[in-house]
Amino acid sequence: MTGLTSVPEEPRPTEAPRPADTYLLEARALSYRYGDHVALDSLDLRVAPGEIYCLLGPNGAGKTTTINLFLGFLEPASGSAWVAGRDVATAPLETKQYLAYIPEQVMLYRNLTGLENLEYFAALAGKSSIGRAGLREILQDAGLQPDAVDRRVSGYSKGMRQKVGIAIAMAKEATTLLLDEPTSGLDPKASNEFSELLGRMRERGVAVLMATHDLFRAKQTGTRVGIMRRGRLVAERETAELAHADLERVYLEHMGSDGGTI
Amino acid sequence: MILRTARKELTDTVRDGRFRWAALLVGALLLVALGAGWMHVQEARAQHETARATAREHWDSQGEKNPHSAAHYGIYAFKPRLPLSFVDQGVDPYTGTSVWLEAHRQNDFVLRAAQDASAVQRFASITAAGVLQQLIPLLIILLSFGALAFEREQGTLRQILALGVPRKHLAWGKALGTAGALALLLVPAAALGAAAVVGAGGGASGATLGRAAILTLAYFGYFSVWVALSLAVSAKASSARTALVVLLAVWSVNGLVAPRVAVDLSKSLYPTPSAFEFAHTVEREMANGVDDIRPPDREAITARLLEEHGVERVDDLPVNPSGITLQESEEFGNRIYDRNYEALWDAFERQSRVHDALAVLAPGLAVRALSMGLAGTDVEQHRHFASAAEDYRRDLMRAMNMDLALNSRAGETYLADDELWESQPPFDYEAPSLAWVLGNRRLSALVLLFWVVGAAAAAAFGVRRMEVG
Repeated sequence: MTGLTSVPEEPRPTEAPRPADTYLLEARALSYRYGDHVALDSLDLRVAPGEIYCLLGPNGAGKTTTINLFLGFLEPASGSAWVAGRDVATAPLETKQYLAYIPEQVMLYRNLTGLENLEYFAALAGKSSIGRAGLREILQDAGLQPDAVDRRVSGYSKGMRQKVGIAIAMAKEATTLLLDEPTSGLDPKASNEFSELLGRMRERGVAVLMATHDLFRAKQTGTRVGIMRRGRLVAERETAELAHADLERVYLEHMGSDGGTI
Repeated sequence: MILRTARKELTDTVRDGRFRWAALLVGALLLVALGAGWMHVQEARAQHETARATAREHWDSQGEKNPHSAAHYGIYAFKPRLPLSFVDQGVDPYTGTSVWLEAHRQNDFVLRAAQDASAVQRFASITAAGVLQQLIPLLIILLSFGALAFEREQGTLRQILALGVPRKHLAWGKALGTAGALALLLVPAAALGAAAVVGAGGGASGATLGRAAILTLAYFGYFSVWVALSLAVSAKASSARTALVVLLAVWSVNGLVAPRVAVDLSKSLYPTPSAFEFAHTVEREMANGVDDIRPPDREAITARLLEEHGVERVDDLPVNPSGITLQESEEFGNRIYDRNYEALWDAFERQSRVHDALAVLAPGLAVRALSMGLAGTDVEQHRHFASAAEDYRRDLMRAMNMDLALNSRAGETYLADDELWESQPPFDYEAPSLAWVLGNRRLSALVLLFWVVGAAAAAAFGVRRMEVG
């Protein structure tokens, strides 16, 4: 094994321990079961401010389950999920104040315009004071073309919807982003724009946890990657220490006979 | 947050072409039904007023006549149409609204619209109550079956909940959004209805306003039940399509199956005779008497009068035995009618209780009973009117017979004049008070309340336990 640290087979990279409240996302021995099937097995994971953590793995590896546990949509079988130093299980609504979630397909209300959608979601996030001019600016910052802002989203492409999703996160001023395959199905240009947006958010100190199949995007965008297999985090590494080829090779090594789609 | 969700729901709904078409159709039907009902009631009121005045004029101007002939001449009594009866005609088309009051007979009611209508007319008749009880719930279902299920299917539910929106706030917002969309349809209709009530018959009385307020409250409760049920099903159904199917099944049971079952079950438990059987029984008992109710014997009455007055000859009696015999014959008939009608009304009342009880399974039965009660067109208020009309008939017949008895002698030709006819007070019927109606309908009100609370609890449970997807 080169360049990657397996978890728990290998010890965690040696780094100066940080106080727990400096991590915006933390999983402590987090486990989840669907009936008899172990979907997530004692996951330990931490994401600090300004960090983009990419979770890699095939379908069924436990990436989306991890995100659902951070969102409080699932109850852990054991262990705990923490957001900004608060346990999701005991403070589900409070922890969501810090979170923004962007799914693979950002779904919007087709009868409303992009601006109206943002206005609605921002209001739900408690940001109704921003005002239409401010929201318009946020949509443009997120990369939405000005002429699309007042159009109903029924005519939006997937990339445009993803940008509205980012705009919602920006309007919310979330300190933590949970992304579930956000670039899946996007064309290369839209994917690049999305990566640039994430980079800008990282610079603002936002912590990002992104589940993805896309090794290239993970290497390009992420500051750290974790590889999951059958509910376990089997490897974890800083991307700066890896060449793209290394990441692909080690990913395949850890997948073993499972393969999985890269 | 709740109001923001409601506003978004309203905007989303109003922009939805399906809602616009459905609302247009239901709104048009409601307005047509209200308009037709109002015109029908106004027309009936005018006809009744004219007929009542004419009947009274004929009564007063009979000229010289034997009082018993006048008793047979009789007079019509018309059931007054309460202002809200244009919303719900209730049992009026089946029971009739007018009765001929004459000697010896407690006649059936006439002016039964249902009797005169063809099968097609009965099927196609649209009333405001029908629209409110059947079509508005259908519209609520179409508006809200996907309220949560669609959000889940589309993935927006995850996004909303990820923002930290409490589930109950989301559900309240959805409910208020649906209510807002309905209000766009119902508030103008209610305003028109209120204007019709106030504008008709020289303004609305306090009693009418009280009935209207509670009627509005009852329908508000009924619609709330459907909104809450739709949210509960939408929260728990595996898909929006499943939610729609489940809700349509509930709607069918409520509006189509339950009323039929209630009628059949109540008739089976508490059977009532057909009109022919009833008339035949009364006729037989009138001819022969029944139990200790026996037809009067003219000779026995005469003998009793001779003894009471201490005279030996009929000509010496200070009263006319014919008048006394006619009155006793009237009282004999009254006892026969009371015996049969009481059994009939009791059976109707028991049947009504069966409907009330079955409303636990279908809220439509509860709101239907409340609606008819508050509109003044239920069986109980028909009975109230029928009893008042019958009391008036008996007083009138007694006055005629006693005038004959006291002012004439046996074998004498006696003719009374207009003074007697004019001295008879007109039939002045006062509809039951709101408290009386609510007393009768308290079970329906309780059952509706049970539905409101139950549906709200189901919605709260469903929303709390719903899958996020």
